[in-house]
Amino acid sequence: MKFFKIFARNLIQGPSTIAFPFAPAWTPERLRGRIVFDLAGCTGCRACEQVCAGGAIRFDKTPQGLRFMMWHNTCVFCGLCTFYCPTKAITQSDDWHMAHAAAHKFEMAIREVIPYTTCSVCGLKTLASAPNPVGVVPPFSAEEIEQHRQLCAGCRKKAMAERGATS
Amino acid sequence: MKTLTETMRGLAARSPWIYRINAGSCNGCDVECATTACIPRYDVERLGCQYCGSPRHADIVLITGPLTARIKDDVLRVYAEIPDPKVTVAVGICPISGGVFRESYAVHAPMDQYIPIDVNVPGCPPRPQAIIEGVALAIDIWRERL
Repeated sequence: MKFFKIFARNLIQGPSTIAFPFAPAWTPERLRGRIVFDLAGCTGCRACEQVCAGGAIRFDKTPQGLRFMMWHNTCVFCGLCTFYCPTKAITQSDDWHMAHAAAHKFEMAIREVIPYTTCSVCGLKTLASAPNPVGVVPPFSAEEIEQHRQLCAGCRKKAMAERGATS
Repeated sequence: MKTLTETMRGLAARSPWIYRINAGSCNGCDVECATTACIPRYDVERLGCQYCGSPRHADIVLITGPLTARIKDDVLRVYAEIPDPKVTVAVGICPISGGVFRESYAVHAPMDQYIPIDVNVPGCPPRPQAIIEGVALAIDIWRERL
């Protein structure tokens, strides 16, 4: 009799095998997948490079600016970089479709450059990175972020003091 | 009239056999590989694949682990026993780049300096679905080689 019970249940439930790869697979909402980098939000603080468990994130100086490099093929999806990023410029998507032919091994990377600029106040060569908004009261507006991007570290400090903000 | 070889080739194209080599893996990827075969939810045998116990029967090789110094010679010997044509799939980030063991004195990662790798499946460990995706890629490559 037990057999008929299981038979009836299976008939109603259908097969338990998922259809992937012939149909899209279900993905959990909070799956820690492929790293996504947003250049506009990066402050260049290099915290992600410090905490990266697999050594997947690397910064180096180029003539154009500070280059951010991230290789997906050595990322362990631990999420430390997203946790420590002050501006959430690094996030993790739920994309796990990363199987690729070995010939494309080194194309599985993010290479972005934070360019150099000249400070709009004192004319010093500086990185056009985003300001760090942590603890700034009142918070940065979009225009202010763009203004601060064109300032060197010293002029940023001065601008913050004039704004009456603490950071 | 097809020759016997052609007939056999046509039959073989539908059922590549999988062989798994553990090159010093932490067993995370091995568990995920076993999951693809043992749990009906993922069931890699739908693709015509079957895990086999002998390297001499294998068509697709799944390699896990960063190729530790101690196991390197054994892995290369077992790999040489697998008949051509074969397709190699690197499962997990360890064989691809060394992962968290990168630049260690005890591992010979990346593996592609010793063994020609065809498909990479990054992840630590990769999801069972990702492994199935990699095996599907490997089957396509294998049919071309046959």
